[in-house]
Amino acid sequence: MSLNKSFSSDGALFTIQIKGKFDFNLVQAFRSAYSEIGEKTPRVIVDLRETDYMDSSALGMLLNMKKSLGDSVSSIQIANCRPQIKKILQISRFDKKFDID
Amino acid sequence: MRILVVDDQELNCTLLKFMLEQESHQVFCVSNGKQAVEQLITIDPDIVLLDVLMPIMDGFEAAPLIKKQVHDVYLPIIFITALDDKASLIRCLEVGGDDFISKPFDKIILSAKIKAHSRTRELSQNSFEQNKLLERYQNEVQREHEIVEHIFNNALVEHLNVPDIIDYHLSPASMFNGDIFLVSPSPIGGLYILLGDFTGHGLAAAIGALPVSKIFYSMAHKGLTVGEIASELNTMLADLLPGHMFCAASILELNKTGRSVSAWLGGLPDGYLLDMQGKVKKSLESQHMALGILETYEFEDTIVHFEVENTDRILVFTDGIIEASDINDNFFGEERVLELMSCPEKSKINDVVNAVKEFSGDIAQQDDLSLALINCKETALPDEEPRSFSQIPMSFTVKLNHKQLKHNDPIVQFVDIICSIEGASEHRSNLFLLLSEAYNNALDHGILKLDSSIKDTEEGFYEYYDNRAQALATLESGELHFEASYLPETQNVIFSIEDSGSGFCTAHNHHADNKGHSYGRGLGLMEEIASSITYNDIGNKINIYYCLNERATA
Repeated sequence: MSLNKSFSSDGALFTIQIKGKFDFNLVQAFRSAYSEIGEKTPRVIVDLRETDYMDSSALGMLLNMKKSLGDSVSSIQIANCRPQIKKILQISRFDKKFDID
Repeated sequence: MRILVVDDQELNCTLLKFMLEQESHQVFCVSNGKQAVEQLITIDPDIVLLDVLMPIMDGFEAAPLIKKQVHDVYLPIIFITALDDKASLIRCLEVGGDDFISKPFDKIILSAKIKAHSRTRELSQNSFEQNKLLERYQNEVQREHEIVEHIFNNALVEHLNVPDIIDYHLSPASMFNGDIFLVSPSPIGGLYILLGDFTGHGLAAAIGALPVSKIFYSMAHKGLTVGEIASELNTMLADLLPGHMFCAASILELNKTGRSVSAWLGGLPDGYLLDMQGKVKKSLESQHMALGILETYEFEDTIVHFEVENTDRILVFTDGIIEASDINDNFFGEERVLELMSCPEKSKINDVVNAVKEFSGDIAQQDDLSLALINCKETALPDEEPRSFSQIPMSFTVKLNHKQLKHNDPIVQFVDIICSIEGASEHRSNLFLLLSEAYNNALDHGILKLDSSIKDTEEGFYEYYDNRAQALATLESGELHFEASYLPETQNVIFSIEDSGSGFCTAHNHHADNKGHSYGRGLGLMEEIASSITYNDIGNKINIYYCLNERATA
């Protein structure tokens, strides 16, 4: 379980990548990761390619991020989900609130 | 020296034998051309002294037949002749003789001629030996190349066939390619693409392709990011390659929908994102140094990320294309490539390759030529493997007391145990979700008696988890009972979690449809993912039924 964050080379994109387990153990790390995002970062990607596990606490964390960032970013994308993770997001209707690719 | 004397006059033979043996040559005498021709291979002479006029077969007739028998090493034939007319002497040379000596013999001249011709023969012998060595060496190299070529072909080609998405061409300047082009599907759908160019060309340049392909395919199968793939390749190449060698590369990931691309770009010429008409929408400029130069701690894995249309194409190439030169040393250049891309009837990779060939004309190819065009289309998920299920019933129970509850987060361990049942591992994420929700509900609400409703605000959400940590730290009593069993007849896994609390959840009081809130979503999710869920009457025990014989994402 770990969380990595990085800016793209032009600074316009902030990526949070979560490996292994995405659950309440990451509450603080996740919150402090998105608190770094400033006005100059129009896009955020939560990259879940290496996320094996996710539960409803992760959904809560994602919603909080969306509330907190509000209009300061142009889009929050949840990217590269494995099929079962994508299904969890779909059941929870997250496709209505986030851009899920 | 072994010297064959061919003369019908015994006196001459004796005389020559005497003279030559004094000079420590080994002398063999025969009395006519026919005998000489017949015994040539047995005697195996270094020099032949051949009389012209003899019965049965004369020297003119014998000389070409003798020469015909020896191919590899020069065998000098010196005619012994009393004739002194020009025509006869010229004829001696014409039929294959190399020199002549007149009767009566002058010992000094004979000895000098023998020496001169044996020098030539030695030279010829040496060069014959060297040729043989060279030939053996060539054969060995050829054989080794064939073996290596075979290995390369097998290592580099994973038989991924996606011609509607990828159009590419590789042509090495020599037998081995210092350019490398790899494509691999991603486990989450989408494709990884790598185009690389090692310093130089030929076998030395190609050798790095093996470990690169191995790492690329293995990381692609794990679905890692292009930045991580680049970083891993860099570390390996920095260790492996000598200081002056490196690998310029572009590593791209096209996502499943074909609408978004991530790229790590290090040292190749600019690539291009082209629209349907071939107009450049974006140039993909190298951001980094080539792979294999920087130490791991200096390496940058930052990527570029951009959205694309399904009608867009991405063009990547190595410098062999733009630096292909014509007879006047002009480069083909990227303008010509882009011009071709904007002609609808010429925008295939083959068209570019043909144009480069035409441009270069008779000039030999200097460097490996590689280019690839990626159509940004949707890709299918990798095929699912056929499944089989365990035939053996299994069950296990775990009891955790309050001390164990404090210091452990056992859910992944429970998942691992269940996933050791054949057929269960593809359900890993779903099983985690079910267990995590049930376990955390039992612990949070049954034992710690926390109230979810404060999670409704952002601050409350974090407060909730602070409270939880606190409550757990001061927990003095409580027990949680976990049971799981597998029924092979129905491929069902049934698990239950019972807490020592007085009950918090029954079928009547939970509400799945709680979508506006940051809490309460878990129960709804569980109901969607499990086959069924039941509670006991007081609400401190949940039973979850899950069927393994359904697709995990159905």
